[in-house]
Amino acid sequence: MTLIDRTSPDTRSPGRETPEVPPRARARRPGRWSYPLVFASPGLLVYVCFVLAPILLAFGYSLTNADLFHPDAEFIGAHNYTTLLSDDAFLRSLRVTTTLTLIIVVLPNVGGIAVALLLDRPSRLYKALRSVFFVPVVLSSVVVSVVWMALLSDDGLINTLLRGLGATSPPGWLSDPDLALCTIGFVISWQMLGFCSVVYLAGLQGVPKELLESAAIDGAGPWLRFRTVTWPMLAPAMTLNTVMLLITGFKAYDHVQVLTAGGPGLGTTSTIAFDVIQTGFTENRTGLSSAMAILMLVIVAVVSSLVLQLLKRREVDL
Amino acid sequence: MTPLRPYVRPLVALLVTSAFFLPLYLVLANVFKHGPDITASPASPPVPPTLDNLTEALTRPDRLFWNGLINSVMVTLLSIVILTVVSAMLGHYVARTRSGFGRIALLVLLAGLMIPPQVILVPVTEVLDATHLMGTIGGLVLFNVGYYVPFGVFVFSGFVRTIPIELEEAAAMDGSGRFGTFWRVVFPLLRPATASVLIFLGVWIWNDFLNPLIILGPAGGTTVTVGVYRSIGQFQRDFGGMFGLMFLATLPILVFYLVLQKHFVKGLTGGAVKG
Repeated sequence: MTLIDRTSPDTRSPGRETPEVPPRARARRPGRWSYPLVFASPGLLVYVCFVLAPILLAFGYSLTNADLFHPDAEFIGAHNYTTLLSDDAFLRSLRVTTTLTLIIVVLPNVGGIAVALLLDRPSRLYKALRSVFFVPVVLSSVVVSVVWMALLSDDGLINTLLRGLGATSPPGWLSDPDLALCTIGFVISWQMLGFCSVVYLAGLQGVPKELLESAAIDGAGPWLRFRTVTWPMLAPAMTLNTVMLLITGFKAYDHVQVLTAGGPGLGTTSTIAFDVIQTGFTENRTGLSSAMAILMLVIVAVVSSLVLQLLKRREVDL
Repeated sequence: MTPLRPYVRPLVALLVTSAFFLPLYLVLANVFKHGPDITASPASPPVPPTLDNLTEALTRPDRLFWNGLINSVMVTLLSIVILTVVSAMLGHYVARTRSGFGRIALLVLLAGLMIPPQVILVPVTEVLDATHLMGTIGGLVLFNVGYYVPFGVFVFSGFVRTIPIELEEAAAMDGSGRFGTFWRVVFPLLRPATASVLIFLGVWIWNDFLNPLIILGPAGGTTVTVGVYRSIGQFQRDFGGMFGLMFLATLPILVFYLVLQKHFVKGLTGGAVKG
């Protein structure tokens, strides 16, 4: 049977749903709906219940004034959205999120390329060092934040050390309103660095050695070789990293909650994700927090697909 | 290739890596030190080492660590096993079907890859309330399955496409149904994808903070990750006690990572090379 099938592939029509089966086998098979029903429906059902329906529900809530004092929510149209877009606190969380995301996209990308170039050697030493960089990726962001809190709080280990060295007023890494957001950005970048460098290392494996050698023979120095050969070949890795980091930045919550709880001062580190949870669960303002959530979703979707398009086009151009 | 002296690169690599690892070293060293020694000389190695911080975390009267461990293990294991089964089958469906519905399903699922959990948590708690699953392990597991199924489908559907359909046709000809064909012929071939899914989802779900914090709530107990967060306030300046608990909470996932390191990198780089 197999032999016949292999020697006459032209008998197979390309667009057909099910493979040809002998009548007996076909008779045993249940109806044509059983395959999607058994294979697709369990996953899709749970996805619809816990992701799709909640998004629709959130959109519905966002058009109401639902909160603790209005158990019977009334429809108020786009009122929540107009409130938010002229609300200083919300605009501040937008700014905070943008700044944080920029830090998180830039630092691990740059650091990741540097580390990848440094460790791109086959020996055992470098392999061991690579896994050291990956450890924070595996740790929970709560643990990472607590580690850094023990180091960076006002009487933490770093400032104890600085005072020991004679500094009278060491920086308030997490208590200075001008500094705290950068500190959080740094901590998240430290955690993501290993992820980026592993992806860049994989990208470096794809750079043909012959290209680098012929460039060297033509007299190109290390920098020129990097600019003209390695850099363009790293474009796909950079796309993956950048999109991953963008999403990490937009949904930054855990580090903020543990390190600063949105402070110091008035919401200086309160990201949109943090704001959504505060408004929704601490203040119980379901309607308003749902509007924030929908805006957040729109921003994430628009920005990450735009960036993805841009980076993909760059991959082709290079 | 470069005119650097041969010892420069290893030296720089070692220095940079040490600087990067310093925070973790400080925790590791101080897990095995007494409280006063930690603040007096945070950077010194723990000689002689003490196990007091670990026994303190293990013998807390509120059993924070042990209860958290049981919850974490149950949530993580149940979630990743169900996710593997469900997303392998769904991944097979979207990879093999030619129906328009399948194509739409794949698009809708892929869009789910970038939905931040904060966006859906308020309504999710209402869905769980309505089904009396709020505050239960089952509720958290179901949410995890829904939230992470896009990742599973993404990995499995990509991998199913690399498996020749002739294999399934041959099995069908031998009289095997689609269900049997999938589990006996296709699924064993998907082992690398299964490894990726199990490893990544295992780490993510173990480390999840916000979802268990809200879905399990104070009533449903905590996971170890949430336990670390809940204990921050109690410890204030007791670094030793905090580090001890953190060390124990991290140990299982760290061992998991060290054992399966190779698959981690493979899972990541598979995506990177394809772009």
